[in-house]
Amino acid sequence: MNLLRKSAVREFLRILIAVSAALILGFVITLLVSKQPVEAYRAFLLGPLSRFNRFGDWIEESITLTLVGLAVALVFKSKQFSLGAEGQILLGALVSGSIALFVPLPGYVRVPLGLLAAMVVGFLWGYLPGYLKAHLNANEIVSTLMLNTIALKIYDYFLIFHIKPPNAGYNASETFTKDGILPSFVPALPFLADLRARFMSQTNITVMLYLAVIAFLVAYYLMYRTPFGYELRMIGANIKFAHYGGINVKRTIVLAFAVSGVFAGLAGAHLAMGIHTKLIQNISLGIGFEGIVVALMARNNPLFVPLSALAYGYLRAGADIMERSSDVSREMVLVIQALIILLVTAERVLPVIQQRVAARRNAQPTPSLAEGGE
Amino acid sequence: MAALVEMDQIVKIYPNGVVANDGVTFSVERGEIHALVGENGAGKTTLMKILYGEERPTAGVIRINGKPVHFHSPQDAIRAGIGMVHQNFMQVPSLTVAENVVLGKEPTRRGLLDRKAAIQITEDLSRQYGLKVDPEATIDSVNVGMRQRVEILKILYRGAEILILDEPTAVLTPQETTELFKSIRTLVKQGKTVIFITHKLREVKEISDRVTVMRGGRVMGTLPTREATRESLARMMVGRDVFLEVSKPPRERGSKVLEVRDLTYVSETGRYILRGLSFNVYAGEILGVAGVEGNGQTELVEVLTGLRPATGGEARVMGVPILNCPPRAVRLAGVAHIPEDRLTNGLALEATINENLIVDRYFRPPFRRGMFIDNQVVREHGKGLIETFDIRTPSGELAVASLSGGNMQKVILAREFSSRPQLLIAAQPTRGVDVGATEFIRQQLVEQRNRGTAVLLVSADLAEVMSLSDRLIVMYEGQITGVFPEASQATEEEIGYYMLGVKRQSPEEMEAYL
Amino acid sequence: MWELVLRGIFSALFVASVLRISTPLILPALGGLISELSGATNIALEGIMLVAAFTGVVISAYTQNVWLGVIAGMLSGVLVAGFLAYFHLYLKADLFLAGIAINIMATGGTIFLLYVLTGDKGSSSTLASKAVPVVNIPIIKDIPVLGTILSGHNIFTYLAFILTWLVSVFLYRTPQGVHLRAVGENPEAAASLGIDVRRVRLGALLLSGVLASLGGLNLSMAYLTLFQREMTAGRGFIALAAVFLGGRTPWGTLIAAVLFGFFDALSNQLGSLAIPSQWVQMIPYAATVLALVVYSLRQRAQAIERARRFQEKHLAETHATGD
Repeated sequence: MNLLRKSAVREFLRILIAVSAALILGFVITLLVSKQPVEAYRAFLLGPLSRFNRFGDWIEESITLTLVGLAVALVFKSKQFSLGAEGQILLGALVSGSIALFVPLPGYVRVPLGLLAAMVVGFLWGYLPGYLKAHLNANEIVSTLMLNTIALKIYDYFLIFHIKPPNAGYNASETFTKDGILPSFVPALPFLADLRARFMSQTNITVMLYLAVIAFLVAYYLMYRTPFGYELRMIGANIKFAHYGGINVKRTIVLAFAVSGVFAGLAGAHLAMGIHTKLIQNISLGIGFEGIVVALMARNNPLFVPLSALAYGYLRAGADIMERSSDVSREMVLVIQALIILLVTAERVLPVIQQRVAARRNAQPTPSLAEGGE
Repeated sequence: MAALVEMDQIVKIYPNGVVANDGVTFSVERGEIHALVGENGAGKTTLMKILYGEERPTAGVIRINGKPVHFHSPQDAIRAGIGMVHQNFMQVPSLTVAENVVLGKEPTRRGLLDRKAAIQITEDLSRQYGLKVDPEATIDSVNVGMRQRVEILKILYRGAEILILDEPTAVLTPQETTELFKSIRTLVKQGKTVIFITHKLREVKEISDRVTVMRGGRVMGTLPTREATRESLARMMVGRDVFLEVSKPPRERGSKVLEVRDLTYVSETGRYILRGLSFNVYAGEILGVAGVEGNGQTELVEVLTGLRPATGGEARVMGVPILNCPPRAVRLAGVAHIPEDRLTNGLALEATINENLIVDRYFRPPFRRGMFIDNQVVREHGKGLIETFDIRTPSGELAVASLSGGNMQKVILAREFSSRPQLLIAAQPTRGVDVGATEFIRQQLVEQRNRGTAVLLVSADLAEVMSLSDRLIVMYEGQITGVFPEASQATEEEIGYYMLGVKRQSPEEMEAYL
Repeated sequence: MWELVLRGIFSALFVASVLRISTPLILPALGGLISELSGATNIALEGIMLVAAFTGVVISAYTQNVWLGVIAGMLSGVLVAGFLAYFHLYLKADLFLAGIAINIMATGGTIFLLYVLTGDKGSSSTLASKAVPVVNIPIIKDIPVLGTILSGHNIFTYLAFILTWLVSVFLYRTPQGVHLRAVGENPEAAASLGIDVRRVRLGALLLSGVLASLGGLNLSMAYLTLFQREMTAGRGFIALAAVFLGGRTPWGTLIAAVLFGFFDALSNQLGSLAIPSQWVQMIPYAATVLALVVYSLRQRAQAIERARRFQEKHLAETHATGD
């Protein structure tokens, strides 16, 4: 988009190669550990498309991943390495879940209120490290990691000591009532009643689908069509240039962190009011870090985040299915994810491979070759 | 007997075509203090980099004690007994003086660093060469003068017989400079040889035995210092190699645009970089600031553009104060800035040309429409400027990184000029730019001036600043030491004297013309 | 009730438990310190610990030899760190992202292999892995109070303190350590003196892998003799925080790590009294953020103070010399 057209194509190719290589390696691993590797890997690669409820799971996961990916892309684009998504998600879940459980308002008020509250909390929990970074030059990696844990403790505290029903065995809240969960994405209109029933029996896809699309559009427009987005991108491109040109660097950085938090908070609300429909321990499960992978594959461009989230979500869903229908555990997908990250971020992998290939092609008999070496 | 160091017909041509050394022959006798002088860009630093093994000559031979040598890296030069003290010290702040001195060649005892030995070594060297240091103090707690002495001790520890000092007094106060000179004399008494790179003629006369003058990559002459006068040295150093033909219709000078009074800036390390500067710039004129780089010009520009705080004084643009304001406020007061370092400040390489062109105006209509930026307007705006300024690129949507150096500079010009400033500050606008673009840039500067903009042109290129300026001031050691109301009537020798501190006008003489 | 708590804290058993709990924090923190000082922040300590914990358990179970398990664990830590170093130093991968990748791979890989080897995704309880010996120091162990505190720990705990001292000696008293710090503070200066910056950083990362692996082994081969999924529980990140909180020095890091351990142990005590432990657990994290703020504020104040001092001094000087 805003890069040299040639280099954009090259980037895309590089990501494609990285993903393919990782998938091939994954297959090799499957070969080694499974008694039925081909079936297992087929389940992995094709599973999410096989049945509708699986397809639904994939879409749900991708919605959360999109929101988190947008959060990370926004803040990474300005070259600020905030890892705070995890904490913002947790607090977003906590706040929206609490509203879902305890605020006695009709559903059509309660749910939007929960979403709003999640966004506000995410904003605030992002503002804090943003301020520290912009005005005090405090290392954002350390501060956001610490704030993540603090958020986790806050979440756990409220969950265990205030939200959990007194006689419950697990550390979890009651399931939200209809007034506290996100409604299905098929609207409750009379002529859609059949469709609605069918969808709701199979999947849990909620109106968050539309909200995610809106969020995506908002993020995209924010980044590429507003003054704030321009400032953010220029700071990421060359912070000295931004300052020289008159951009208020400090204010923009703080806002970048805070706005990122809004998206992460929303993701938390989705986890609470959409996917789980209750508050449980470990509700976020490291998805804040997976957002980093999504953003990385999208090169921090909101335009590509949904695609990246879908791709990544597909792998996750596929891994789940593979586990349920074969003897390969879903954790293999984590290994594949890691390989993708490594290969995508290793900027010299392609050049190194190119060099080796070129060297072989032009190879004169060198002493080492004569000795049978590399 | 052969000289200690002989550099014979050294040629150095960089990959981009610049000829830094053009058949330079340079020799140093054992035990002498040899000053190597020249303006920035004269080639003296390159020559010493070659001697120190940091660069390889394109042609020519180096001989040490009559034997030819080939240096592939500074390690080779060090082994041959050559040591170099750079302008930016290669030290580790949290380590002590002694640890820094022996870094890389530590004395050990049973595998552990022998601290006592390191301190002893440092003290011995310190005493022998009269370089006072505190061996156990950490580098981040000592002053610049001592840090420099530590650098010298470092190279002495590695057996340097020939010491190259690159502009050593650039970072020192006058007192520290005196200390340094005492140390240099002691070094020489102990049998060392010193090559002293500088552009400060006063120091040449004070400390050196012989002096070699370089200009434009060539040696203009080598002579014993007692036979040289500051005037004769200045004449050799400064000269117009390129005759610039710039048509400049005479213009009536307009109202006062920039007023600077008593501008002062003291650095964090305590050096007085700007000492009470006072001058004005009027509409429709180019006020040139001549001077060898390092006399405060960079800081002057940064202070006037909001990139650096001033310690004292005032500056106003059409009555609006601009000191200690953020860059946007300065720009809104009508100031445009072509920065000295275009890659660091002036451009964002990853961003597109169009994006680079709007950094000072994106928040205003027509670029901003309500809450959004109208990208169509941005593109059209870019197209217009690319055409007007002849920026060679197939599209404004490409990254700036795809442009050549000259075209990159044109992007900056296009942006700064098109903001219709009251005051345009241009710092080294043609440095590192190819010939074609240079011509264009100079014409554009004059064009701005013709349109009534007040232009403050800071340039170390004497030819350029002389032919472009209406009025000219010379900066030396943070002060204005001369003003030339009719730049075209001055000679380069004359200005050279001022640039090198040989001559100066009194405040009373200058007052009327500033 | 508070009396009970206080009495619990001021007991030898509690102090001993603090030492025990701090051990898997001190060890990776030392590793983090070394790599941090060389200019390469090792964010993969968590993953390395996990891999080492797993490898130690598996190898010791299959060879029925505790020391082989330990050695294998350490080797695995070095390998993972080497992997990270290779990607960063030679393939120019972003150290930070590569570290995250390693952590993800470690989490997934260990659970995956656990399942393959034992059919259980939760823990390796079906494997008969070994435990490292406990050291009962003769004579000392019989002293009241002191004996409980100082004696009876597994070797890793003693190792943690000994290694802190060794790391300190390494960093400040050996040429290699000085080179490492030089590379971290001013790589250009180090390079100008012939120090191979890349090799030093490689060494630092490998060393941090060794230390982190010891921390991981301590988790799975000391009091617990099994591997559980994700058993590191964020200790690798706490280790990094401890490095920072401790001012990036060996003994400071030790103290910071022990501080984290203290609050962890404290929260256990309170937990048994149905007091929300979360607030106590939160303290060291909040403290780190505060330390970060204080540190940054101090940097800023120092810069302003320096500038002001020089301005005053030189304004005075010019007036004196009548410039």
